[in-house]
Amino acid sequence: MRDILRKEIRLSASPLAFLFIAFGLMFLIPGYPILCSAFFVTLGLFQSFQFAREANDIVFSALLPVAKRDVVRGKYLFVCGVEACALVLMLLAVLVRMTVLKDAPVYRANALMNANLFALGTALLIFGLFNLIFLGGFFKTAYKMGRAFVTYIVCAFLTVGAAEALHHIPGLAPVNAFGTDHIGLQLLLLAAGAAAFALLTFLSYNGACRNFERIDL
Amino acid sequence: MSIVEVRNLVKKYPSFTLDSASFRIEAGRITGFIGRNGAGKTTTIKSMLNLVHPDSGEVDCFGLPLAGNEKAIKKRIGYSTGTVGWYPRKKIRDLVGIVRRFYDTWDEDAYRRYLALFDLDENKAPIELSEGMKVKVNLLLALSHRAEVLILDEPTSGLDPFSRGELLDIFTGLRDEGVAVFFSTHIISDIEKCADDIVYISKGRIAAAMPREAFAAQFSKDGESLEETMLRLERGEQHA
Repeated sequence: MRDILRKEIRLSASPLAFLFIAFGLMFLIPGYPILCSAFFVTLGLFQSFQFAREANDIVFSALLPVAKRDVVRGKYLFVCGVEACALVLMLLAVLVRMTVLKDAPVYRANALMNANLFALGTALLIFGLFNLIFLGGFFKTAYKMGRAFVTYIVCAFLTVGAAEALHHIPGLAPVNAFGTDHIGLQLLLLAAGAAAFALLTFLSYNGACRNFERIDL
Repeated sequence: MSIVEVRNLVKKYPSFTLDSASFRIEAGRITGFIGRNGAGKTTTIKSMLNLVHPDSGEVDCFGLPLAGNEKAIKKRIGYSTGTVGWYPRKKIRDLVGIVRRFYDTWDEDAYRRYLALFDLDENKAPIELSEGMKVKVNLLLALSHRAEVLILDEPTSGLDPFSRGELLDIFTGLRDEGVAVFFSTHIISDIEKCADDIVYISKGRIAAAMPREAFAAQFSKDGESLEETMLRLERGEQHA
């Protein structure tokens, strides 16, 4: 499995997939819809899939001495690895904003959502949607990806919009908590995001393995 | 001894059907897989490598069904897919650096030997190579891990006559070492030069699968070359 992941990183991946991980640090930008950073990370991944398609990557991978299921697993490991790196940057940004910068006026006066554990959970949900809609959609044919990506964009930005609007609804202000306020709720929302990510990725992976076994390359 | 056994492979496309293809690849023999463009050679080979999902039929390699043993079987097979180029802007060195890790049997000496024989520069990327040189890169990967059977789709297409001759000599040398070589081609003289067995496919059906001498005895007229026989058969004329 290490070999197929190494192949993904060294041969299949576009440099943009790695560069766009840095968008995770957009969680530090005040007055900006920070969840767009999760979308930008997936934009780098989309570019990487296009790059790989031009290089006949899928057929090359299927010809290696691995089961077809391992080709799918390699792609999912690579994507989840990039998402995990971006989440680490987001987490660092969230921790900074929850601690040393929790009272910074520039963040307190922010009309948009705060970078807290709920935001991190929502980023996980967006990554889960990418894995479900885009990755799962890609493995239906192993070459068509436009429709799946557009569908994902719509879902991702609806999620961003809903998350941004949530704390303006009366009674839901605690989702936008600062520092360690409402920490129980915040941890719960983060756990819910992580659970959604795991579930969506698991469902997508199983479907992708099934579809990839059936399609002709 | 059969190293690969293909039984009743069926693959239906809207305008083409691979119709119940069956044949065997024997150890220590060179099998030429011949047929005109569109006859079903690549579909058959892709089915043998699990790149195409057949509607029915089985492929056994080394006595094991391909389904469920793909990883173990692929390690013992070398394959090459003609002029298809991989990762056009990656250096051959980088490509090989990744591929070799998948094979416990990677033979660095053989790799260096074929690299020199094919006159390939490791620091070049496929985009800098001619179609013939791309074929050689694919062959280089197929030949460098002590494969017990080579499955090669159009390995001589795009090669100059000298390189073709060298490649056919390599096939002969490998056969003498006990390796089974199965290669598709529409260049009949390649078959005449080195094939022990012939699998002839026409319009999606295996028309013949037998030793070359038996093929000549069954299909060729007196004094007729293999090429003349094949042309006559493809024109639909009666065999001898």
